[in-house]
Amino acid sequence: MGPILQVEKLTKRFGGLTAVDRLDFEVRGGEILGVIGPNGAGKSTTFNLIAGAYGASEGDIRFAGESIAGLSPHRIAARGVMRTFQHNRPFAGMPVIDNVLVGAHTRFAARLWSVVLGTSSHEEARMRVRAEELVQFVGLGEFARADVGTLSFGQGRLLEIARALAGEPKLILLDEPAAGLTPAETARLAEIIRGVAARGIAVLLIEHDMHFLLPLAHRVVVLNFGAKIADGLPDEIRANRAVMDAYLGAATN
Amino acid sequence: MKSALRWVAAIAVLSAAAFFMSDYHNDVYRKLMLWVALALGYNFLFGVCGQVSFSHFAFYGIGAYSIVILLFQAHLPLPVAIVCGLVLCVVFALVVAIPSTRLEGFYLALATLALGQLFIVVLNEGGSITGGNGGIANYRLPDIFGVRIRGPWYTAVIATLLVGTLALLWRLDHSWFGRACRAVRDNAEAAAAMGVDVARVKVIAFTLTAVLAGIAGMVYAFVDNTVNPPIFGIENAFLLLFMVIVGGAGRHAGAVIGAVLLFLLPFWLSPVVGHHQALVFGVLVVAAILFQPRGLIGLWDRFSRSRS
Repeated sequence: MGPILQVEKLTKRFGGLTAVDRLDFEVRGGEILGVIGPNGAGKSTTFNLIAGAYGASEGDIRFAGESIAGLSPHRIAARGVMRTFQHNRPFAGMPVIDNVLVGAHTRFAARLWSVVLGTSSHEEARMRVRAEELVQFVGLGEFARADVGTLSFGQGRLLEIARALAGEPKLILLDEPAAGLTPAETARLAEIIRGVAARGIAVLLIEHDMHFLLPLAHRVVVLNFGAKIADGLPDEIRANRAVMDAYLGAATN
Repeated sequence: MKSALRWVAAIAVLSAAAFFMSDYHNDVYRKLMLWVALALGYNFLFGVCGQVSFSHFAFYGIGAYSIVILLFQAHLPLPVAIVCGLVLCVVFALVVAIPSTRLEGFYLALATLALGQLFIVVLNEGGSITGGNGGIANYRLPDIFGVRIRGPWYTAVIATLLVGTLALLWRLDHSWFGRACRAVRDNAEAAAAMGVDVARVKVIAFTLTAVLAGIAGMVYAFVDNTVNPPIFGIENAFLLLFMVIVGGAGRHAGAVIGAVLLFLLPFWLSPVVGHHQALVFGVLVVAAILFQPRGLIGLWDRFSRSRS
């Protein structure tokens, strides 16, 4: 199977600053690709470029063989690229399950007139069951009907993943999902991410915490000042001198 | 199917009540139901979809004036006049909504406020077409299949309109569309990342509620059998906003409670404060925003939760 996502010479400049500099990498279905790098290395910018929140200055982003560069975020989501946010962004005033159903927005086939005529209730019920399964999958089953405002921070992180999965993605972008989690929650999160990849979904994972990322990722891309300085297996990254100097050195000294 | 029966039952009950009322109370009851229907539509636009618009009441006026002008100035048959009136509402709604969604919410408020004011100017300066300051009067609802709908039967038409509006908005709210509206209101960027076409959702919500207001306006045109500019003044746009805020924005029940309360309040207040009811409304709204942002329905939620 070929790669689901191919990033080619991707470049983003903000005025004089080059945040992402001729970046190349690819991800396959079922693969967990870790993206690491110090603060300001361009990790989040890369995510925002893939998700369509920013437009690229140069280069191409190919998803399932077709260019998605320049498409608006909702069209990219509809093609099967779903994301989580670095800071939880739940839709307030809705139950947990309805938040997940918003993630399934592009999977509803019923047209608006069908909703008005009341002939779409079967689909609504079916999607609700599926959303319920996803809420269970991330371990929030008992909170499905609770208002989203009652979730803890860590539970909110898991909801972000359930909501993204509801869009039936082929590629999921996780932006520092472990940030702010307790060790127990982090262990649980790692299991969930492995479960997502086991479904054949490509996982692109930005992470700060190397202890979390290296045992989890199948492959790792290291960014520094917007450019790729390494790309390899977790063990190769551990042994890579340039990575140590740029990133790990500061953390391990 | 079961839900359809429930709506029909609601129409029957609301209509039946009209047959036990005097002419005066029928008149008050009709206007009350029209205000509730308007508040429900405005709640969907403002409370559910988060669009601060001041033109909702103008669309009520566009509906009322267009049906009267098309029937009695252009002499069109009733079905044609209704369809043309609806098309007019859609066109005006799109003209306002499409450019506004490209801008931040503040500009929608300004654009719709301008439309509301412009509408009054056009009514006053419309010459023989709109009847100018005095508006148009002395017409009556054409017979439908030779039957003249009047008295409590016309009240039943309004009850049908009200329940139909609620049923439609209820279904939309409990679907992917309603959830998309709420998501857009809460966080447009996150909604887009979930695949929601934010601009499209906003334009549809705006146009749909504008058409609902237009239909209510068409029905209103035969309640007093007169349309004139002061009826559609901008202060009514604010009254709608107050109704939704006091009742509880984003909740159908809130819109109903707010509309009933603020519509009936002047009847009770006028012996006490005369025409200074706006003062009381102002205090109510400020109190709601400061102490109870979820409105009266929020108070009820808290009460029923503490009992259970």
